[in-house]
Amino acid sequence: MTTIDRPADLPTHDHHDEGSYLTPRGGMWATIWQWASTVDHKKIGVMYLFAVLFMFFLGGVAALAVRMELLEPVRQISNTLADGTVETVVTGQLFTYDPENIAAGNNVYNRLFSLHGIIMTFMFIVPSIPASLGNFFLPLLLGAKDVAFPRLNLLSWYIYVVGSLFGVAAIVVGGADTGWTFYTPYSTTTDAEHWRVFFIVLAAFVLGFSSILTGLNFIVTTHKLRAPGMGWFDMPLLVWALYSTSIIQVLATPVIGVTLLLLMIERLLHIGIFDPGMGGDPLLYQHFFWFYSHPVVYVMILPGMGLISEMLAVHARKHIFGYRAIAFSSIGIAAVSFMVWGHHMFTSMGELAATLFSALTFLVAIPTAVKVFNWTATLYKGSIALNTPMLYTLGFLFTFSIGGLTGLPLGALATDLHLHDSYFVVAHFHYVMMGGTVIAFIGGIHHYWPKMFGRMYSEKWAIIGFVLVFVGFNVTFFTQFFLGTQGMPRRYATYVDEFTLLHQISTYGSWILAAGLFLHLFVFVHSLVAGRPAPPNPWGGLTLEWEAESPPIEHNFHKEPVVRHGPYEFDKVVPPHCSEEDFPLPEQAPPPPAPKVVK
Amino acid sequence: MIQSLMTTLLPAATLAEVPPLKLVDETGNMTSGFWEELFFRGGATTPVAQATDGLFMLIFWFGVFWFVLLSILWIYWVIKYRRRPGVAAEPSASHNTLLEIIWTVVPSSALIVLFLLGFWVYMDKQIAPSDAIELRVSGWKWGWKVVYPDGEESSWQLPLDEGNTYNGGAGVPVFVVPEDTPISLRMSSQDVLHSFWIPDFRTKMDLFPNRYTGYTFRTPKLLTGQDYQDHWIFCAEYCGDFHAEMAAILRIVPKGEYVRILGDEFGADLSPVDLGKKVHAQACASCHSVDGSAGTGPTWQNIYLYERKFTDNTSAIGDEDYLRESILVPGAKVVSGYPNQMASFQGLLSEKQLEGVIAYIRTLSDRYTPPPKIEGEGEEGGEDGAAEEGAEADPQTDPQTDPQTDAQTSADPVQDESETATG
Amino acid sequence: MTAIDANQPPPADLDGGENKARWEIYAHGHHWRNAEDEFESAKFGMWLFLSTEVLLFAGIFVGYALLRLKYPEAFINGSAYLDVKWGLTNTIVLLLSSFTVAMAVRNAQLNQQLWLKINLVITLICAAAFFCIKIFMEYIPKWTEGKRPGVLFDYPYASDPHEPLWWGLYYVGTGIHALHVIIGGGLLLWVLVRSYKGIYGPKNYAMVETSGLYWHLVDLVWIFLFPLLYLIH
Ligand code: HEA
Ligand code: HEA
Ligand code: CUA
Ligand SMILES: [Cu+2]
Repeated sequence: MTTIDRPADLPTHDHHDEGSYLTPRGGMWATIWQWASTVDHKKIGVMYLFAVLFMFFLGGVAALAVRMELLEPVRQISNTLADGTVETVVTGQLFTYDPENIAAGNNVYNRLFSLHGIIMTFMFIVPSIPASLGNFFLPLLLGAKDVAFPRLNLLSWYIYVVGSLFGVAAIVVGGADTGWTFYTPYSTTTDAEHWRVFFIVLAAFVLGFSSILTGLNFIVTTHKLRAPGMGWFDMPLLVWALYSTSIIQVLATPVIGVTLLLLMIERLLHIGIFDPGMGGDPLLYQHFFWFYSHPVVYVMILPGMGLISEMLAVHARKHIFGYRAIAFSSIGIAAVSFMVWGHHMFTSMGELAATLFSALTFLVAIPTAVKVFNWTATLYKGSIALNTPMLYTLGFLFTFSIGGLTGLPLGALATDLHLHDSYFVVAHFHYVMMGGTVIAFIGGIHHYWPKMFGRMYSEKWAIIGFVLVFVGFNVTFFTQFFLGTQGMPRRYATYVDEFTLLHQISTYGSWILAAGLFLHLFVFVHSLVAGRPAPPNPWGGLTLEWEAESPPIEHNFHKEPVVRHGPYEFDKVVPPHCSEEDFPLPEQAPPPPAPKVVK
Repeated sequence: MIQSLMTTLLPAATLAEVPPLKLVDETGNMTSGFWEELFFRGGATTPVAQATDGLFMLIFWFGVFWFVLLSILWIYWVIKYRRRPGVAAEPSASHNTLLEIIWTVVPSSALIVLFLLGFWVYMDKQIAPSDAIELRVSGWKWGWKVVYPDGEESSWQLPLDEGNTYNGGAGVPVFVVPEDTPISLRMSSQDVLHSFWIPDFRTKMDLFPNRYTGYTFRTPKLLTGQDYQDHWIFCAEYCGDFHAEMAAILRIVPKGEYVRILGDEFGADLSPVDLGKKVHAQACASCHSVDGSAGTGPTWQNIYLYERKFTDNTSAIGDEDYLRESILVPGAKVVSGYPNQMASFQGLLSEKQLEGVIAYIRTLSDRYTPPPKIEGEGEEGGEDGAAEEGAEADPQTDPQTDPQTDAQTSADPVQDESETATG
Repeated sequence: MTAIDANQPPPADLDGGENKARWEIYAHGHHWRNAEDEFESAKFGMWLFLSTEVLLFAGIFVGYALLRLKYPEAFINGSAYLDVKWGLTNTIVLLLSSFTVAMAVRNAQLNQQLWLKINLVITLICAAAFFCIKIFMEYIPKWTEGKRPGVLFDYPYASDPHEPLWWGLYYVGTGIHALHVIIGGGLLLWVLVRSYKGIYGPKNYAMVETSGLYWHLVDLVWIFLFPLLYLIH
């Protein structure tokens, strides 16, 4: 536990008179302009939050359509009419504008799942937590006034907007049918006469810059803007998570950048680097693509894990177990994640490479396992409040563990040859992305909602929403594991009759899931208009953001905070703005302070 | 090299220990429990597939173990330590290095075993035994073609069995393979990527336009009273509009039936001599040489119009009638110096094939005067595939025929070795 | 991005009536504790950004290496087509510009306002020279001869089927680099313009230094491209 005196060189001008960052200054247009041109990380974070949730909504609607199409296998029934003419009817195909022609329907389906995958990965999940909650809370967690480069931050927000607009534009004119992986040579030849694919790839390319700049910004912020007294191991674990995420973003994104660039040039000029017809090599593309796209899955999950660590500690009122283990495992994951990309290509690469990548893949599971074990140990002897954030935290532990464990048969060579590109994979990555990242994200929104908007949400309805989401999610995707092992390939618009039942269950599940999510949406809207005002520290958190007002003032803190205790010492410190009877301390003095290692 | 390394690391016994290796009894019914049923319907019928399922179930139970363990802790502690107003959490340790080490080391070592087993079974899918029949598979948007060792091509379109409306009830191509035989696939694509997945055999590989990939599997024995067995083939790599309809059926038939079908149905366009040559390769070559060298049975060189001496000291001229008789009733005249052990080919060879064999044997004799030659042999490396593409403007061409792509695959051993899967 | 606060007119309390140069009354960003932190962060940020740039080009180099391994002849012919003379000139030009930009930073630190401008101007001239040589001496002649990338290729005397591929890589590699030359030049031009306002000096030269760093990267990448494309036979 660190105690230091305020260094002499600290600026001492305070921000007493300031109001909340939300209070509009001037008329409507003035306010709009202030938001559009703001360099305040909080406003940018909020704008990101709404943007990514909107993208989640778009992608989700596409997903529901995908599930609708899969409700039934496509049947083409031709029966002879009284007058002898034969009429052909296609049933079970949602998108039929030409009954004679299954391809037309398939094509729509292919565009739908590509659209879904592209939106969800590039426009939603990658920016989701870091850009929204991360932007808003990183400086608060560090006790800083802003991120290192506020203007750069605004720039990356606008790059994100431009990129998304490209994407949406491409979708409006018909979208792409490439899948989110853009495998060549299909992606360089399909829709040859159209610009759609080009624009979608361009969108992903542009979005890459946004995430590079955000990552860069976060790294520098973490290095240079920690509050006085905050050593590396006094940082909240969310900061560690965001930090490792940023490292991956900065190191991996340039590679996808050049890959997509080459892809675009390929489509325009057919220079042939990925085009086997001209001596290029599709496998090279896959290597490039996955060199980015595997590390990026940890860009997706690490911030979620960070949120889990925070929520777990605060709502269990318990010192996070094995702080260093969790912090280092974040870095460990970041490091190893660059060495396993080949596990997406077991069915296309040689034995030697495949063996190597398989071994490394098992290695990457370890640090995650370590995290899970430490989180579990954190629950022990806690004082656990079962509110929405905590429920989502527990939900995360369940679903993410399933998702992660099903990564193991995919990492084992023999089984992956069977499971690759089957619904088992689909189930796996939804369990980690939807069941991991998104669940943590929704929980995190609830956890930080009072701080961001200064209003409480309706606990009752939020919990109902959680139950719907949790049940719906599992019904939707657990069935897909069996689809996969039984032989259902992914990206199939129609399928063999055997699979009908499981597909139907999955589709019904997606409706429950959707209901839950929409309920959450309404809960949030309701809270904004009619929620009761939130106290500065409703959960009794110890990290610096809870010292600020809810919602925080323009410059976050009235006085620059100085760190006097570790982020999780719930057994030693009464939380700021809180009374001892709400958050009592243990009577007898805690065991003699463990070495500073312990956090 | 890796394999030898592994053999030292991991005695062959280890595989046998993978529980439950035997998912299917000889009648093909699942001997296994609820979860196996859910995961793998009918279950696996080939050793490698069974090993795969075994490994999968092993990993599955491994996961279940940890998951249940943790779930119990989560639920139990959440209930036990739920928040009570005004009550503080009892102080407890905030870290424990020993624990950290344990729960890092224990899973790690377990994972190493899983990796090795995965590698082990994988190798069985990749390394083809020397006696495997090599089928050349080519895929295109959207169809499959299998070319048999001697250039026959499957010409069957099979209407799906009653009530199966897959692909609008339209037929899918059928590829015939003999039962209980090792098969190796040498695959390449004519346009975009595809992937040749046979779920029942638990393995797949992607098809590339510019390189050969492949894998191997052993076909199961037909069950008693079963005259054929069908297995789905799906395209597992996204390839466009009909990706979902790019299926085929792998039909497993008795060995003799296989020979017959290849000769009669698939090899229809061959000249009698070539047909005969093929039948020889498939059915006779093991005993009868064609170059005069000795074998289990007499060589075929210079039989026709030569005099044959028999064990019963009679003799005859090796004319068509003699040949036909020797094939259908081998015991009738046994060439001296050879045991009477050849089984009759009555019913195994079609009339056409019989003719072919005889025609072939004739050509092997220097007393034979050839008639005007008949054209026919020679496989077009999937021109119909290219045709299928129609307007689809695609620079790709079939590796078998395209010199350029051939050049690539052979030109550079480094890459072949490192990036081409065995085939 | 960091020195911009110097744009604002000097707050009265800082400028005690007598008019100082902009750099003297430079106030660091409001969210920083002090100017050193801000300055170091700016540099740190730029280094991070440069690392991403390096990785971006690394991608191209890997592609180059693999394809060269595959088709040595095509690449050897290809580089034979290139004119080492111009390649070398451009290399020298860039090295010179790297030197002058380094000097410019020094001038800023020592408050040699005139030399600062002169060095920046020289650097910009070099950038322009490099660019013109690329366009007029390299791209245009080759393009007109039909030495074009991929399907556009129609050079009658090609002796290897994969030369279009080589040209593809050539244009992509040098093209992306040329793009960086433009960006870097733009940055330096901006610095030059602002240097006329006397914004840069001992207390505030982050912008000069960071854009200088960027320019060094442009140089560095070329140092790799030049031998790979022109020299290795
Ligand atoms: C959030 C994103 C995310 C995360 C975190 C992960 C995590 C993991 N993934 Fe996943 N993966 C994806 C997203 C993700 N994946 C996506 C999107 C795809 C498909 C891309 C496409 O083709 O479209 C994919 C595909 C994919 C494949 C390729 C499948 C194929 O196409 O053939 C493989 C193969 O190895 C794999 C493995 C793993 C492993 C081993 C982990 C590990 O990191 C998991 C570690 C976690 C645990 C192990 C569980 C928690 C720990 C415990 C409960 C303690 C007990 C555990 C042990 C003792 C081991 N994933
Ligand atoms: C973050 C990533 C993410 C998320 C969250 C989801 C969410 C969902 N996904 Fe998907 N999915 C992918 C990433 C994701 N997916 C990817 C990468 C692919 C591969 C694509 C490819 O093959 O190329 C894929 C593919 C994929 C397939 C396979 C298609 C095929 O291979 O043929 C299916 C099929 O069932 C599917 C279904 C779903 C469903 C039902 C959901 C549901 O969870 C959706 C639920 C969401 C909603 C119903 C919208 C409601 C939201 C709001 C109301 C907004 C407000 C919310 C709050 C305020 C909290 N997805
Ligand atoms: Cu062929 Cu998918
Ligand atoms: Cu991966």
